[in-house]
Amino acid sequence: MKAEYINAFYLATQDVFRLMLDLETTRLAMRVTEELVPFREANVVIGVTGDLAGSLLYSFPKNMALEMVRIMSGMEMTELDAFVTSAMGELANIISGNAMTRLFESNFRCDIVPPQILIGGGQSLSMATPQAIVLQLQTSIGAFEVSISLRTAKS
Amino acid sequence: MMWKEKYRVGADLIDTQHQELFQRVSNFIQTVQSPQPWEAKLEQVKETMAFMQDYVIIHFSDEERFQEEIGYPELQRHKEIHAQFRAGIRRYADRVAKEGFTEELIQEFGGRLMAWLIMHVAAEDQKIGAFLRSQGGSHES
Repeated sequence: MKAEYINAFYLATQDVFRLMLDLETTRLAMRVTEELVPFREANVVIGVTGDLAGSLLYSFPKNMALEMVRIMSGMEMTELDAFVTSAMGELANIISGNAMTRLFESNFRCDIVPPQILIGGGQSLSMATPQAIVLQLQTSIGAFEVSISLRTAKS
Repeated sequence: MMWKEKYRVGADLIDTQHQELFQRVSNFIQTVQSPQPWEAKLEQVKETMAFMQDYVIIHFSDEERFQEEIGYPELQRHKEIHAQFRAGIRRYADRVAKEGFTEELIQEFGGRLMAWLIMHVAAEDQKIGAFLRSQGGSHES
């Protein structure tokens, strides 16, 4: 997995957070992991197919997810119910779609499959690569991670 | 769900319809998320879902007609995005027909609808506004 893909995900996340939540994101450290583990309470997994194939994992603390949906809806949210998780899934879907458009500009044709929601930490997910890159991002309402495990499928 | 001035495209008809959509989706979410028993809010949920299906179609066709009028260069792409959204609403309508108006399914629909509407108006539709301004200003039809 090449680090050049990673920027597409950072820029897409930054863009969507700015447009939809009026929040700025700052890039913290980037690390490499050998396991794709949902380590926060609100997690969204998105599969990628095409020239790059594998999985993306968006991992948010519960309070941050509730605050994000409060910003969008204008209503206080108290639990990770189907409304909150569905909105989070769609947000991750939009970020991933935006990243796919950026990757297309670098000649990678990829598609995404509908989001899967995972509440709470748990078992590690299957990975397309021996290692995943974890982007750690900070906002004024909390920090979250985007883990990227993509292999080049294009010959 | 708040309408923001930054969402304004600069065409009265489109901006008025967007505000109506935000208001309706906002009312829908408030009803779905209110602490009343599900049965008590079911009628309002059904009414709003029916309204959304009709109104989205009216709004999209008005918006596409407007884009044609101003010679918007990304009309085809925008039409595809609208078609995807209509298909998304149809999929939920089909699921409701099969599974019934369950609270979880309607909450799921509400979450997606809200996120999609914000992104569509805050990003895609802003390109119409930018094009309009590049052609010399706002539109008052």
